[in-house]
Amino acid sequence: MARLHVNGRNYELDIEPHETLAEVLRGRLGLRGVRVSCGEGECGSCTVLLDGAPATSCLMLALQAEGKQITTIEGLGTEDDMHPLQQAFIDEQGFQCGVCTPGIILSSKALLDRNPHPTAAEVATALSGHVCRCGGYTQIVRSVLRAAEEMEAEGER
Amino acid sequence: MSADQPRRVVGTSPPVKDAAQKVCGTLTYPVDFELGGMLHGAILRSEHAHARIVSVDAGRALELPGVIGVVTHEDAPDLEWNGTFFNYRGRIFDGTARFVGDEIGAVAATTPEVAREALLLITVEYEALPAVFDAEAAMLPGAPQVQAAGNVREPTVYEWGDLEAGKSAADEVVTADVSFGSQQMCPMGRNAAIAQWSGRTVTLYAGTQTPSEVKDAVAEAFGLARSRVRVVALPLGTSFGEFWSNNFMMVACLLARKVRRPVKIELSNTECMAYVKRRHEERCRASMGGTADGSIKFIDVHHLFDNGGYGFKDDVGFLVLDLWGSRVPAGRFECQGVSTNLVTAGCMRGVGDVTMGSVVERLADQLAERCDLDPLEFRIRNQIRPGDELHAAWGGHLLRHDEQGYQRLIDEVTKAAPTELRENWPELFRLSSGTTVEMLRSAAEEFGWHEKFVGWGRPYYSEGPIRRAVGVGTGIHCCGEEMEGNTDATVRIMKDGSVKLYCSVGRQGTCADTTQAMVAAETLGIPLDLIEVETGDTDACPWSRGSIASTTMFRTGFKTWAAALDAKRQLLELAAREVLDLAASDLDIRDGVIYTTKALHEADAGGCEPAGGVPIPDVMMRDREDTFGPTDSITGRPDFSMPPSMAFARHFAAHFVDLEVDVETGEIRLLHYLAAQDSGTVVHPGVLEGQVIGGAVFGAGFALCEQLHFDAQGRVVNPTLSDYKVLRFSDFPPEATVRFAEDRDPVGPFGARSAGEAPTAAPVPALAQAVYNAIGVWVDVPMTPEKVLLAIDAGSESA
Repeated sequence: MARLHVNGRNYELDIEPHETLAEVLRGRLGLRGVRVSCGEGECGSCTVLLDGAPATSCLMLALQAEGKQITTIEGLGTEDDMHPLQQAFIDEQGFQCGVCTPGIILSSKALLDRNPHPTAAEVATALSGHVCRCGGYTQIVRSVLRAAEEMEAEGER
Repeated sequence: MSADQPRRVVGTSPPVKDAAQKVCGTLTYPVDFELGGMLHGAILRSEHAHARIVSVDAGRALELPGVIGVVTHEDAPDLEWNGTFFNYRGRIFDGTARFVGDEIGAVAATTPEVAREALLLITVEYEALPAVFDAEAAMLPGAPQVQAAGNVREPTVYEWGDLEAGKSAADEVVTADVSFGSQQMCPMGRNAAIAQWSGRTVTLYAGTQTPSEVKDAVAEAFGLARSRVRVVALPLGTSFGEFWSNNFMMVACLLARKVRRPVKIELSNTECMAYVKRRHEERCRASMGGTADGSIKFIDVHHLFDNGGYGFKDDVGFLVLDLWGSRVPAGRFECQGVSTNLVTAGCMRGVGDVTMGSVVERLADQLAERCDLDPLEFRIRNQIRPGDELHAAWGGHLLRHDEQGYQRLIDEVTKAAPTELRENWPELFRLSSGTTVEMLRSAAEEFGWHEKFVGWGRPYYSEGPIRRAVGVGTGIHCCGEEMEGNTDATVRIMKDGSVKLYCSVGRQGTCADTTQAMVAAETLGIPLDLIEVETGDTDACPWSRGSIASTTMFRTGFKTWAAALDAKRQLLELAAREVLDLAASDLDIRDGVIYTTKALHEADAGGCEPAGGVPIPDVMMRDREDTFGPTDSITGRPDFSMPPSMAFARHFAAHFVDLEVDVETGEIRLLHYLAAQDSGTVVHPGVLEGQVIGGAVFGAGFALCEQLHFDAQGRVVNPTLSDYKVLRFSDFPPEATVRFAEDRDPVGPFGARSAGEAPTAAPVPALAQAVYNAIGVWVDVPMTPEKVLLAIDAGSESA
């Protein structure tokens, strides 16, 4: 019996040794915001946070995530209660098809946690593990910069 | 159209309809979609590029616990199905494999894992056939024949003026012969098809840009009445031409019919990249000549492309002949498609633009250099302007008509349109609106072109191995295409004043549901928030071309506008008759409330809220004098057609790039990027910016690194994002700028035209020209470090 800590909840699960973290999160826990696209850790759309750091969940075994705090997009904010990053992506139209979006937002969260005032170039570097095939890179970078501003303003309030 | 009234919705950037679902990860894509009792399918794929299937032994597979059924060519209808624009022609399975990975059978099982395991237990006996992987080889006598109809499609030829006279008049002639590898769409989010039969009817759920086309294709593939086919297009990741109607969708239907249960076939990323569709491999041989003062006298283009196993196209987009050829006295264009035993090729974003378009732009650049003219000036001098003649209007399907005959047909088709509308429609076969010229001038200023362009083949900065230079490229594409059917839309006003818009444009990241709803909202005077859109259910939506050929805002948007206009007319007539005892022409709608136009004028003049409004529900709920109760809903349908957009409308892009080349490593780094776009009126600036910058990244990827590679057996060797390089965040300037020119179109909704393909075209010549200016040699795309270094070596040898 393995224990996974996901979005603040503790789960006890029978996990097969070969099951990837993405398979368990999507298939067993119903967290469909974990988008699996390339399936080999190149596109970044399956990104989740492990103890606050981005990881490609398609490329790691679920058992490797035992003992870590796992955050998926569902744990960041919901349609009724969005995280400022999610709201900033809406305000800046920082997405098109939306497949890469949850993973990019989570990597952005990790970036802003360690660097609350990044430059555009720093955002671009931090997100280079992600592919947005719609090519909306400039609007995504703007979204992250806007979220940084708004989170700072929020903090000052 | 209410052109001069202030707009309340068009031109704003509200959150798109599914924004919250996309940023919260709750949107259901095809891979997430499930039906109760659903089985999982896996596709049996050919190991050979060309083979006859002698036998398929699935005995062991059927004994694997969990396997429900298997289909092979023996189960497939003996019927051919056709994709739109000849992007596909073939049977679901016909006992012959035409490329490595071609569908030859499928398994349905209780889980995807069992289905995949079962594939390994199927024994296929092949009779390998000679295969051909190159368009030119496939044209030779005795070449293996891929399609029963032969490999070689009839050439598409279009000529204008006296080509020989043009050649004689030219002081300078430049030529090019450029071969292009194939670009892969690399669809994010993959795709899945889920089919369910109920008696003799089938419902297919899948991600597609073209729901109506898929319905037609399923009907053809199975010989079904259209009434027995329902397609529901689900929100898709990226597509870029990959997911129109595809054979894996037909396989899902076949498998579901065999096992009489719903079946889902979910494609892996490698299946998407190697076995569905790709851009053609192309070769363009072309020449251009002009006089020393910089005026072009002729253009001569010979273009060849491969269709792969099941493509059947006879041309690619040659809109570049409008951009560069409209003012040229003579020209010739010949294009030919050829079948090969490579994975099916077909239309992909910017079809013909990124290939033929970039060759014509290169020729223009070389001619400009011979004439000692700045590339900006050369474009401004030679490129099309409103009122100029359009060649591509004639070069395609319209060749079947003579000019008078075609004009008569158009007059007949569009005669139902209101006279006041038709009076504003443009002269056909000439460009209605838009041009590169203004964009080139204004964007060049902002970009600092005149400071950084220091002459042809010369970097503005040179230090150590680094050479920095700028380039400008232009692009053009159509605004939809009218052949094969008339795109339609309907608008339904509900009794509570909310609205449903039905237009089958699919959902693949273009946010067309939102922009179409904005057109409806502006037309109706009903808030955007009260308008929902059905984009994918063919049982609800009328036929539509789908989101291809840059159709959506122009042609679908026109029909959305016309449907909304019709619904509004009905509503105002009802209000006039049942409630207000006024003429409908004295009424209008604002913010979802019906007012007299007089009240609205007074309010606007006085800067106050209009008085005496009647909410829409008050009209709809009123017992009618001509029925026994209230009005449940009003359905607006377009009752007139727009003129053929190929005959007058285009959209334009002008892109500027500042880049550096490391002449020791061959690496290219983009420093700054400015993309200017003329799509007419901008409906949603945020969405359009995404289309433009996305097109720039897509085209820049084609220019720099993207290419599918095949081995000697015709197998794709890089069907993964590890091995197929696409541009990432740090490969493209994060502060790239987008600027809009808004030359209003006389026909399009609120003056809008189309968007998505010209911005894919412009980056390729812009980057190629900048690299030339940096290192003094032209490099064929993709301009990988290896090719840059080889070009530098070849350049220094020849110097």
